[in-house]
Amino acid sequence: MKQKVTITVNGEPTEIWAAPHETLLETLRNDMHLVGAKQGCDTGGCGCCTVLIDGQSRYSCMTYTVTLDGRDVTSVEGLADNGELDAVQQAFVDTGAVQCGYCTCGMIMAAKHLLSVNPKPTDREIRKGLSGNLCRCTGYHKIVEAVRVASGQQEAS
Amino acid sequence: MATISDTVGTRVRHHDAIDKVTGGRGYPVNVNLAGMLHGRMLRSPYAHARIVRMDIDEAKTLPGVRAILTPDDVPQVKYSPIYFMPTEGLACIQDMTLMGRTVRHVGQPVAAVAADTMEIAEQAAQLIDVEYEELPAVLTVEDAMADGAPAIHDYTSGNVAVDETFETGDPDAGFAAADHVFEQTYETQRINVCALEPHVCVADVDAYGNVTIHSSMQHLFGLREKLAFVLGLPVSKVKVVKPPYIGGGFGGKLDITPIEPLSALLSMETHRPVRMALSRAEEFVTSNKCPIRIRLKTGVKSDGTITVREASSLLDAGAYATHGSTVIMVHGLFGYCFTYKCPNRRWHGRSVHTNNVTSGGFRGYGGPQASFGVEQQIDEICEKLELDPVEFRIRNSHSEGEDHPFFDGTFTTYRFHECLRKGAERIGWSDRTAPGSDPGPVKTGIGLGCAVTWTSNCTAQPDLYEHSGAFIKLNPDGSADIASAAIDIGCGQNTIFCQIVAAELGIPVEMVRMSSADTSNVPFDAPMHASRGTNAVGATVKAAAADAREQLFRVAGTMLDASPDDLDAKDGRVFVKGAEIVSVSIAEVAARADSPLVTMTRQGPQPDATPYRGTIIGSAAMNPAVSPIPAGAMFVQVAVNTDTGEVRVLRAVYAHDIGRVINPAGAEGQVEGGLQQGIGYTLMEHTQFDPETGACLSGDFLDYKMPTAFEMPAEIECIFIESDDPNGPFGAKSLSECCLIAPPGAIANAIYNATGARVRDLPITPEKVLRALGRL
Repeated sequence: MKQKVTITVNGEPTEIWAAPHETLLETLRNDMHLVGAKQGCDTGGCGCCTVLIDGQSRYSCMTYTVTLDGRDVTSVEGLADNGELDAVQQAFVDTGAVQCGYCTCGMIMAAKHLLSVNPKPTDREIRKGLSGNLCRCTGYHKIVEAVRVASGQQEAS
Repeated sequence: MATISDTVGTRVRHHDAIDKVTGGRGYPVNVNLAGMLHGRMLRSPYAHARIVRMDIDEAKTLPGVRAILTPDDVPQVKYSPIYFMPTEGLACIQDMTLMGRTVRHVGQPVAAVAADTMEIAEQAAQLIDVEYEELPAVLTVEDAMADGAPAIHDYTSGNVAVDETFETGDPDAGFAAADHVFEQTYETQRINVCALEPHVCVADVDAYGNVTIHSSMQHLFGLREKLAFVLGLPVSKVKVVKPPYIGGGFGGKLDITPIEPLSALLSMETHRPVRMALSRAEEFVTSNKCPIRIRLKTGVKSDGTITVREASSLLDAGAYATHGSTVIMVHGLFGYCFTYKCPNRRWHGRSVHTNNVTSGGFRGYGGPQASFGVEQQIDEICEKLELDPVEFRIRNSHSEGEDHPFFDGTFTTYRFHECLRKGAERIGWSDRTAPGSDPGPVKTGIGLGCAVTWTSNCTAQPDLYEHSGAFIKLNPDGSADIASAAIDIGCGQNTIFCQIVAAELGIPVEMVRMSSADTSNVPFDAPMHASRGTNAVGATVKAAAADAREQLFRVAGTMLDASPDDLDAKDGRVFVKGAEIVSVSIAEVAARADSPLVTMTRQGPQPDATPYRGTIIGSAAMNPAVSPIPAGAMFVQVAVNTDTGEVRVLRAVYAHDIGRVINPAGAEGQVEGGLQQGIGYTLMEHTQFDPETGACLSGDFLDYKMPTAFEMPAEIECIFIESDDPNGPFGAKSLSECCLIAPPGAIANAIYNATGARVRDLPITPEKVLRALGRL
């Protein structure tokens, strides 16, 4: 039986009817057509589906939508402001941190959370902060660089 | 880094990066058509069995179920799924059936359902009742080759799918001439490709029986040909739509999977589009690198000259031959012929069927397995003979200008020795200490591994597609569109092609775009594989751009009152050579060619004298001239905790000769990403199966561990020793596969240098390190 919840998605309060076992990833992708969060594993192992829930980075594939009544969800689509990229998005572009890009949106959301709690993370802190998100293309090297650039600790090369 | 033009040789940002950081809508996983149904497969729980009876009655009655397919409903034609060879190619073993009545590995599909939702499809699949007659299964190569082993296919003898040998020179004389002979066995494991976008497709069959298909794959035309073959359709009835990009390939999307033909058949049955996607657990039984055991025997003179090499390779192909039958051949070439000179060689390769999952393609295609053995054995030789491993490699490798030992031509550009010397200098090779020198329990060491490939482009290999085709169109605003079947699988291919076309036409790179395409409107292109994108496709788009440029100059000549031969172009303008002030913008020329018969001027409409009418276009369809020869030397520093056996890679220096670098940021990305896969392959990853049942034990990322940012070294230094290869576009050779071929040997050698522990089977887990140290 579907239940009604009200969730603020990217700043907009939204009424959603969801089945008890429907995940936030399914709600975002299938009902709201927000495809930035990607399905990579469905078991909380890859991080492609990472979003912010009340500012904390969370795997949307491991979160039931019906548990989110009154909560605040930010997906990658909520970052750019009127076409102007967020600093983390811009840093990913500038450093060449994007290859196939399938992990990128989740990686950016994990980086957003990291920088919100630790605005000047060390290299080790960045790597630890992103360790819940897998990438098969980049070796993470330019992703770590992107986070350093976004946090103002380095210029983009 | 040299800059050839404003665009080639510069760190141009990837064209699709802004799209990808804001949501990435272009992946096949996002394709969503009106009325689309969702498909699921039921898979066999047995490694070897015959289907006796299937009952779909209960599944059929579930509300929302639209169609169910069993083996009785699908063509039973045998095929080879590999995209890079035509199905009827001589080297192709056709032993696979879409859904056969015999299952040969755990996880083989036996039925497929289309339903209104994925959930209903899954439920329905579970309601299908299958009665199996279990057959004896063989889960190791030894068991499969043993006398009296059950035959997995009827076309083999002793389950051996491929049994090949080659010999050059006189190996027996080589052994007689050797002062020392070294013989070891090296073993490599099955790892998963782990492209983060799983296999996914949407098939849509129209009222005329035309199949349109979207899929996450590495080859448009391969999918068209295989799908048509399996379904028994002419290729013209199948249209494969090119995705703007896919979420990673790495060789794991080089063959048709059951989802494409099953979706098409379900769509035919339901008259609605059908989407099928693999779960991650299904990926782990779909795309795995071939495990190979190598027996390697090398004869050397005391001065370090190799006199002979003998190797035998045993590959577990799993249930179906597919890539296992071709990887073994490339492995033989890669491993024992490329990197080092050797006058006498003997190789015996066998690819053997088991009831394990089918082995597949993965970056390096047999190369990393071989280099793990070859590169380690060289260090073992050097230690015994007290030779320097860098000098040994230089002594035994080819030099620029030498005749190619196997193919026509010479080593046109080849800076392998410089790679070795430069890399050694950067890592601090001369300060390397003896194994176990560090005093505490955590010991550091430096290791070297090399990678040379001669197979990029697959030039002149029998039965392998190698050719490319492309169109270029100039627009009235001075921009250019590329149309090509070459897919950007994540390496930034589209960006590189745009850079090449921009340089050839003399326009800014922002003015070039990769346009949409499908198999009905662009020429054939070989798969995006074998490190061939930049070199082979790049040469083709360059040729197409040159063709467009010729037409551009012809029209511009009429506008500038000059001979086309006297013209050149840069910065978006065509100008007279030696008199740059006499110029016209490319936008004006393209607009003139595209305009109606009068031209608007300040004086009003004027009759237009341009004799050449029609859009300025260029095209090319061609073979690459040769396979380029990229080379790389990789040095790594590791720290090994001799109490726990844990290994950390601290630093990597990777020097490559890839000809001219088109996009330095993209090239670095290949190296850095190759290191992630290399560290995973060498230290962590292993797709594991129950030795009794053949069921996958590592079916998610909690049980299957690949490196995160935390396991990667902070220091990765990419060095490119540049040269202008005469056969490559703007001098570029190729790169991708080198990046995964060198790490296994380099890391294993570094572990030895740190501790004195020699581990010859992958992955090098803490347990194996401790065992090699005699501490377990």
